[in-house]
Amino acid sequence: MQNSEELKWALLIASMAMLMMAFCMISFVMYYQKRRFEEEKRINEIEKNYNRLLLDTALNSEETERRRIAQDLHDDIGTMLSLTKLSLNQLSKMVENYGNEKDDQIMRKSQSLVEETILHVRRITRDLVPTTLERFGLLEAVGEFVHKLEEGNKLAISFHASPEEFPRQGQKLELTIYRIIQELVNNAIKHASCSRIDINLEINDVLIDLRVIDNGVGFDPDKIKESNLAGLGLLGIESRLAIVNGTVQYEKPEKGGSRAFVQIPVMPVSDSKPEPLHPFRRERVNI
Amino acid sequence: MFETYFAYSLRKPIPCFSTFITLLPIVLIITRKAYLDPTFKLLLFYSLSKLITDLLIFDSAVRQQNSIVYFNISIPVFYSLLAGMFYFKFSSSIYKKGILYSIGGFLVFAIWDISNSNLEITDFQNHRAVLFAKTVEGVLIIVLILMYFYEIINSLVIPDLLTFPFFWVCSGLLLYYSSFIFIAPILHYAASWKNIQDLGIARTVPYIFEIICALFFSVGVYHFSADDYAKQ
Ligand SMILES: Nc1ncnc2c1ncn2[C@@H]1O[C@H](COP(=O)(O)OP(=O)(O)O)[C@@H](O)[C@H]1O
Ligand SMILES: [Mg+2]
Repeated sequence: MQNSEELKWALLIASMAMLMMAFCMISFVMYYQKRRFEEEKRINEIEKNYNRLLLDTALNSEETERRRIAQDLHDDIGTMLSLTKLSLNQLSKMVENYGNEKDDQIMRKSQSLVEETILHVRRITRDLVPTTLERFGLLEAVGEFVHKLEEGNKLAISFHASPEEFPRQGQKLELTIYRIIQELVNNAIKHASCSRIDINLEINDVLIDLRVIDNGVGFDPDKIKESNLAGLGLLGIESRLAIVNGTVQYEKPEKGGSRAFVQIPVMPVSDSKPEPLHPFRRERVNI
Repeated sequence: MFETYFAYSLRKPIPCFSTFITLLPIVLIITRKAYLDPTFKLLLFYSLSKLITDLLIFDSAVRQQNSIVYFNISIPVFYSLLAGMFYFKFSSSIYKKGILYSIGGFLVFAIWDISNSNLEITDFQNHRAVLFAKTVEGVLIIVLILMYFYEIINSLVIPDLLTFPFFWVCSGLLLYYSSFIFIAPILHYAASWKNIQDLGIARTVPYIFEIICALFFSVGVYHFSADDYAKQ
């Protein structure tokens, strides 16, 4: 009887030990699984940030390159064109004095060509680098852009911003919005064959809300994305937005046309002073 | 008749409760349509066969007959059903094949063990519990559960284990079989001592964990959602 009493105890203890092990096993699996999941999440986060950084760098270098080209155009070709214009002026005086009617006509034609070229170069430089944006901010720059487009085309483009005056945003954010507006409006002109475009910009403390609406043929964003129709434009918008955590939605309203709806969270203005106009001279690699 | 059952239940409340608590997961599996998933269909069959076995044992205990024969027969049946659940849970075909072989092998082994423990197989009154089979069943099930846990950790597809039905099922089984694994071989001798040998609290612990196991099943089935299963 004594023996069986001991046996009972031994059994009880063994069972308890086994149970303890089972219990530890279950807790361990739960704990370990949770930790691995968190780790995985962190790695994903890091990867995402890294990708964003890469994109950012790519876009930055694109902007830098634009500036370099603009600067070269302005400094080299622009200067040479000015000199050419000067020489032509002198020549024209000589032709006026000694030449005949025909020479004079050719002279005048060359002069106007050079003048036009100078204008074109200036326009291209300004398109490449939105100087207005840097100096006077988003409202001015978009206003100017719209104004220029309206001049050339038979188009009604309206631009509304509310509030009418808002503080300058970070330089990168302004450039992002500007380029997106540029692309959306250009798309509407290129593809939609529309007669009016409405641009609406709303800014509050947390969100920047941009709507670009046209009354053209409209398009199905899903189909465009599926097929390989999506050009660089729409993709570019998305990658620019990815950097600033923004989102874009395209809609196709019933009554025709298309609508682009962009939302970007407002970021605290960190480096409010605009980058110097010659960033390529002190190139910075921020990786 | 009913009074004798009732009196017996009062004398042994925990084993009785462990018998009837099995109804809870059964009802839940049916009401939550968990049987759409093959794993839970097998769990339903397991619970049903367990309920039937327990009821038969309960009945023979009341009639003071030897109930061990039901216990012995249930061993290969339970193992086939439980291992079948893991058959559907593992993705690797090697594991699947292994599980099928283990079911076949265990069936043969259990039959051998039953006949080995009982010289006179038709003598139901003096029927004795198997010596190895229940322990081997426990070891095999625990191994399967641990293998499944390993796969869970490795594959990282389940975001929250606490809402994952099969994790509860595994945990319940792991606790139950862990509590039973040392008792099982003793039963062979305990029964041969003509039931004089009462294992006392050591025998009650597995009953308690049987109840816990059924509760775990219920929690797991409660988290089961037929919509999720359809989406898989
Ligand atoms: N406002 C719009 N109206 C109609 N179609 C559009 C509009 N914007 C874009 N699309 C369609 O989406 C396609 C992809 O545009 P985008 O990515 O800007 O490339 P790209 O302008 O270089 O063709 C265009 O080819 C056009 O078919
Ligand atoms: Mg485009």
